[in-house]
Amino acid sequence: MAIAAASPTLPERRPPHRRGLYDRLTSGPLSQLAMVLLLTAALYLFVPAPSLAISIMIYGLWAVSLNLLIGYGGLVSFGHALYWGYGSYAAGLLLIHFGVGLWLSLLASMLIPGAIALAAGFVCLRRREVYFSMLTLAFAQLAYFVAFEARWLTHGDDGLSNVPTPPLVLPGLNFALNPIRDPGSFFFLTAAIVIVAFALLLLYTESPLGRVLQAIRESEERARACGYNTRLVQLITFTVAGMFAGLSGGLNAISHGFVGLEPYWELSGVVVIMVILGGRSTLFGSMLGAAAYLLLQHYLSNAFSEWQLILGAIFVAIVLSFPQGIWGLVRLEPVGALRGLRRLLGRGV
Amino acid sequence: MSEDRVLLRTAGLDRWFGGVHAVNGVDLEIEKGTLHAVIGPNGSGKSTLFNLITGNIRPSAGRVWFDGQEVTGLPQHRMVQRGIAKSYQITTVFQSLTVYENVRIGVQSARSPYVFWLPASRMKDVARMADELLERVGLRDRRDEIAGNLSHGELRNLDLAIALATRPRLLLLDEPTAGMSPTETAAAVGLIGELRQDLTIVMIEHKMPVILGIADRITVLSLGSKLFEGTPAEVQEHPEVQAIYLSGTGAS
Repeated sequence: MAIAAASPTLPERRPPHRRGLYDRLTSGPLSQLAMVLLLTAALYLFVPAPSLAISIMIYGLWAVSLNLLIGYGGLVSFGHALYWGYGSYAAGLLLIHFGVGLWLSLLASMLIPGAIALAAGFVCLRRREVYFSMLTLAFAQLAYFVAFEARWLTHGDDGLSNVPTPPLVLPGLNFALNPIRDPGSFFFLTAAIVIVAFALLLLYTESPLGRVLQAIRESEERARACGYNTRLVQLITFTVAGMFAGLSGGLNAISHGFVGLEPYWELSGVVVIMVILGGRSTLFGSMLGAAAYLLLQHYLSNAFSEWQLILGAIFVAIVLSFPQGIWGLVRLEPVGALRGLRRLLGRGV
Repeated sequence: MSEDRVLLRTAGLDRWFGGVHAVNGVDLEIEKGTLHAVIGPNGSGKSTLFNLITGNIRPSAGRVWFDGQEVTGLPQHRMVQRGIAKSYQITTVFQSLTVYENVRIGVQSARSPYVFWLPASRMKDVARMADELLERVGLRDRRDEIAGNLSHGELRNLDLAIALATRPRLLLLDEPTAGMSPTETAAAVGLIGELRQDLTIVMIEHKMPVILGIADRITVLSLGSKLFEGTPAEVQEHPEVQAIYLSGTGAS
């Protein structure tokens, strides 16, 4: 027994460096916020289609909310489309039937999925690892068929069309929004909401509760032995992730004026891919992952009819060659990343 | 023995694993301010006894009192909140977090466990206590290192620091010197000697010289039952204990 204890347990993955200045610059909360601001500016300046820039912001927030679970909590949810979808329905239905304003519909798009996440999380978090993932998938499936059968409310697979765009009402301001005719204003509104949400989620990861979440990912047993109710911490996080997924779904419903019944497995998979692509170790990475995914999709689908095949191959290559994702690569192996970029661009750089 | 001198009491503590009677009707009384060692051959139920006391597993029968209040069957995190902490036989730390963050997580649990509207870095008293603990276990200059990069001896000290961070009144040490070199063992024994100034300690240990040097009382377990309890001198005299434990290879 004593001899078994003497062999040190090797960690599966250990970051090579101690936490130095570069690490802080690429993962500190304020730098992450600055990166998101930079990304937003870049999207505005360089992305030719405004609707694409809007989608990147919205999907980015969705991926960030999932990364709270995957990267920070070690909880791989395969059913994150549920909260996105019900957030879309919540906002869409309230706008169609009750004509509530922008803020109320977005609030509902957080609260209703949040309540569902609280209930689903209560069940899913009784299991760990792949069993947890399967339960989240099962809940998404359940919710999909509920939405499909409730045609009187959701119009089934026809979807909710003609979701009216509410005006932007702020103290002393009543501005008519139109995502199609005036996408610029809508982009700024979306970006503002997403950036505030991102900042709140960053605060969450830096708070005592968020730090415990990361400790639980490392060793739930030890976190319990530190006096934490680990399942409560995870349940709160699951609910928060559901709320922000719902918010992104609500924003998406408003930006398209439409809520469709989309296949839950595909949508849940896409958002997982965005998180892995960008890198799990920071929230900003997921934003970057969403941008990379949607930009690739945009350009590839314009150029090739088999674009999904190419996207899949790129995804395989990225996961195999740098499992920490794009931002993880920049963070942990900046020199290697620079060399790779040089090789990619040719020897002239 | 008056009740308020006793910090931890168990009565008829029992635990079955399938058909195995791992812990069999153990009565313990741990007095405040003492260092109590639990010894016994492998499989005698020492670790299970610890897990029953910390609430890691529930007893099949029997009761536990801590500081005069019954705590039988409470979940582990509640036990910790009451002041029972445990260090691990197989080092259990938060591998990819920094050394400092490992200890800070422990300190934070007694102060602001579930706050999510403030950055953790704002809590200056938590930070100060974490740094003091690192100083105490000699890990101050490894503060910003990732815990997974520490050596075995350093990890054991970190493990201990995390347990101390929850500000326990009763500290359970599961083989604190396992796998340590003689030098490291001496340092660990010195540290335990310091800790016992203001803590009640129960420790499982295989190295007899370590135990005989620092324990006030020793409980000998055999096949899940209490075989004998007494002072180190009494335990050394006891013929049955000598036969079962002190001779042979038990003290490896």
